[in-house]
Amino acid sequence: MTLLSILGVLSSAVFSGTSLLYTTLGEIIDQRSGTVNLGLEGVLLVSASAGFALTSITGQPYLGLLVAMLAGGLMNLVMGYLTVTRRANQLASGLALMFFGFGLSAWIGRPYVGAKINGLPRIALPGISNLPVLYASLFRFDLLIYLAVPAAVLVWWLLFRTRWGLGLRAVGESADIAFASGRNPRRIRYQALFVGGLLAGLGAAHLSIAYAMNWTEYMTAGRGFIAVALVIFSKWHPLRAIGGALLFSGAVAFQLLLQSSGFQISPFLLSTIPYVVTILVLVLWGGTRSHSAPASLGRVYQGSE
Amino acid sequence: MKSRPVFHWLALLAAATLLVAGCAQAAAPSAEPTSPPAPQPTAAPPEEPTAEPEAEGPCLIIGALHGGPITDAGYNQAMHEGVMAIKANIPCVEIIEAENVPEEAGATSTMENMIQQGATLIIATAFNHQYPALELSQKYPEVTFEHAGGWEMGANFANFFGEPPDTWYMMGVAAGLMTESDQLGFVAAFPLGWTLTFINAFELGAQSVNPDAQTVVTYTFSWGDAAKEADATNSLINQGADVITMHVDSPATVISTAESRGVYSIGFQSLAAQQFAPEYWVSGIGYTLGDTLTWLSSTVMDGTWEPIFLRCGIADGCMAMAPFGPKVPQEIQDQVGQSRAAIEAGEIVVFSGPVVDQEGTVRVAEGEVLTADVMGSVDWFVEGVIGSPK
Amino acid sequence: MTPRPEAVRRFSFLRARVLEALIRYGFMVLFALVLFAIILLIAGKDPIQSYRDILTSTLGSTYGLSEVLVAMTPMLLTALAVALPSRLVLINVGVEGQLYMGACLATWGALTFSGLPGWILLPGMILLGMIGGSLWAFIPGLLRALGLVNETITTLLLNSVAPMIVSFFVFGFWHSPMDTNKTPNFVPAARLPTLFGTRIDVSLLLALALLLIFWLLMRYTRWGLEIRAIGGNPQAALRNGIPVRGYVISVMCVGGAIAGLAGMAQVSGFYGVLLANFSRGTGYMGFLISWLAGGDPLGIVLTSFVVAVITTGGNLLQLTRDLPYAVINILLAFTLFVVLARPSLRRSRRSA
Repeated sequence: MTLLSILGVLSSAVFSGTSLLYTTLGEIIDQRSGTVNLGLEGVLLVSASAGFALTSITGQPYLGLLVAMLAGGLMNLVMGYLTVTRRANQLASGLALMFFGFGLSAWIGRPYVGAKINGLPRIALPGISNLPVLYASLFRFDLLIYLAVPAAVLVWWLLFRTRWGLGLRAVGESADIAFASGRNPRRIRYQALFVGGLLAGLGAAHLSIAYAMNWTEYMTAGRGFIAVALVIFSKWHPLRAIGGALLFSGAVAFQLLLQSSGFQISPFLLSTIPYVVTILVLVLWGGTRSHSAPASLGRVYQGSE
Repeated sequence: MKSRPVFHWLALLAAATLLVAGCAQAAAPSAEPTSPPAPQPTAAPPEEPTAEPEAEGPCLIIGALHGGPITDAGYNQAMHEGVMAIKANIPCVEIIEAENVPEEAGATSTMENMIQQGATLIIATAFNHQYPALELSQKYPEVTFEHAGGWEMGANFANFFGEPPDTWYMMGVAAGLMTESDQLGFVAAFPLGWTLTFINAFELGAQSVNPDAQTVVTYTFSWGDAAKEADATNSLINQGADVITMHVDSPATVISTAESRGVYSIGFQSLAAQQFAPEYWVSGIGYTLGDTLTWLSSTVMDGTWEPIFLRCGIADGCMAMAPFGPKVPQEIQDQVGQSRAAIEAGEIVVFSGPVVDQEGTVRVAEGEVLTADVMGSVDWFVEGVIGSPK
Repeated sequence: MTPRPEAVRRFSFLRARVLEALIRYGFMVLFALVLFAIILLIAGKDPIQSYRDILTSTLGSTYGLSEVLVAMTPMLLTALAVALPSRLVLINVGVEGQLYMGACLATWGALTFSGLPGWILLPGMILLGMIGGSLWAFIPGLLRALGLVNETITTLLLNSVAPMIVSFFVFGFWHSPMDTNKTPNFVPAARLPTLFGTRIDVSLLLALALLLIFWLLMRYTRWGLEIRAIGGNPQAALRNGIPVRGYVISVMCVGGAIAGLAGMAQVSGFYGVLLANFSRGTGYMGFLISWLAGGDPLGIVLTSFVVAVITTGGNLLQLTRDLPYAVINILLAFTLFVVLARPSLRRSRRSA
């Protein structure tokens, strides 16, 4: 195990963890306001395909990024319509959204399979270029990667240092009490879903425009559900999500390293570890009404208006 | 006795269902072609395109199914282009094509649908389509089934493929000469017998010009997972590989990732892969099965089709080598050309003994040759390959 | 006027319910069809022809109808696996994972005991499948019964773990070098027998039988009564001496067993082999169907039928209309959206 390979694991973890982090941040916002979005997988797929398609058409990756964000926001608004306005069950609505995402993304992305795009340009920090090529290329990151940690901090600030965030968390704890104290739970949940969707779209865009630079059906391969698990793992806290994302994606990169070093640990068993650990975390530190889960998570707000 | 209203409703519902079903049945025949494909006598030799006289309907309806998207710049695209070549050579042929057919589940129903639409030749191109196609071949003895890359045979079931191992050897020669770190990287989907054979051929080719060359292998366990392919490529590069190649459905992600790291790449499956690496492309191999498929179709049409285990290589035009990239020096190009000529002339046989595996066991003895039917069930790597064959 | 006899009252109530359900479902499906037709028009495809294709390939031939029934079978089972726990207000989203584990254990049986004759092997595999699914549901059930973790979360997390365990075996102990992502094919003795030369296997009959048993149990037995009591008011049930915890665990296990049976039916009846990642959302579809049908067996059958028609029809659409198969999910989703968006038409749903 050379220095290069260890740095390589770190670099891989950062690269593939970025999309996971953005997605998780979006879901944290949603769940903090009380909405579980199981349709995240569908949201990611639609955003990824839309962003990729636009990048392919216009040749402008940043434009594709914006479109992906918008697509994510819109998909989440559909979720909002179902769960907030029509008061449908959140789990069922989310799953329906997931199937919708399967179909819509396949339709949008179909003409662009195998297209070659200019991915997000990768910028090296000053000084990195002095290193030998192999090392330097490990740390040439695109804009989204540089903004990932700041985004997490931004989400933390939004949730814990603004009035909006306070209202959002209040709705997540108890929508009725929030309503009684003068807030509008419906509007807040819609807002949370939209912002969450923007972030999820960003995560999806990173996958298709910056990292894989490709589009195939179902390409997110379960990342939506990984994000939901990660939200729980990081106990609904944006800053802990950074570590969680690095851990979850680092495991994958680490496993690849082991594979080519001759160690025979099954990559599949290794990938189950994050989930098992999450369950253990929940069991040991409380999972039902712990100090971490928003109390009204998953409850449809019936309202009295 | 008063008849219960519920019976009225149930009867109405039943009638409605029957009506719908009836209308659908009436509509169904119109979805199928009106004339059955008639066998046309052809006297022309197989390589030439046969000119068909005018017929009321298509002279042959072919159903082709792919496991992935036909624009993937990889395996599926190569197969798709082969199928389209049939139509270019025999204009009266009608082709029904399905892509992204999930390996098992959708394959049977897709093929059934194609047969119901009148297809009498089914070309199944994904590796895992073999058994669904085999089962259907027993159910429909009048339909001919051709599978790409399999090994089963039946009265109306046969298979066809290129001969990649020879071309892999040539690519190994190119890689062995281009590498500076003596580390070559191979991104593989599954530890499949054929994949192992390709890797072995690649390594043997590299060793023939560079005895220190090693090939490191990583598996993604998926025919087309772009993120895993990017991860695997990066991991190999971080281990020191400076020439990357692959056996996955689409080479696009692996090649773009290698290109973004400034590392050489060698393509596989389709010649269209070169566009992803304008600078660091070395060379590549692609399947060019258009003429073969045209010949097979013409034998189905004139009734002379027989089940053959069809394999053809670069000399027969079934496989092609891509042009060299801008960074490949002329003398390396020449050397690769020489090895190609030697293989075509039979002077070099890729898997001729002695061939020793990773643990030192002699797998092919001196004077012996590994035959094609064994290559598909290989479960070992030659010396010089780093990775697990299981 | 003499009061109408019990049977007649029950019957007109049944008639009214069936009628109401049919009209309601009918309108919703119609609305979804219109929405999807708009999408088709945008894509430049002819909606009328497309719908005709869907109908001809599903209801227009016996083959088509048999394919619909084949698609329906796993949905019936997975929906039931959700419906039973839902009576206890338990949310079993983990059907996907239980499906995989049932398939996994059944495969172990098929590969290890391949020498046994079918009449021993198949019931054994059914048992193994049920055990596999049941074990996978036991953990969330236990954690919920002990008041530690919500079963929604645990089942969801375990959903992601199960396919990886299956992959571990498929690529490990059960792998053959000739194949990519599957085990060796099951011997004929390990395959569920099919009916009438179609792909429908006996698991359809099992599924319908289980749904009937479920309906009877819930209505006419003490067990069903106690379950409904717990579902209505767990505190009161506890005070009345009903062992709530025991029921939580056992009901989750039974639900898991049924899901495991679905998994076994998939690998033994439908595929004849264990593929890595063989299920793309079947378990989640079952959850949706059960929820849409209100956990009611008749509703489950009707909803599964409609969903199966849509997904099977999508196969032909790909060939004739040149639409990727996945697009049929849009029609499916529209149907789901339309039904989800009308909670006021349903009898009161317990939210979340």
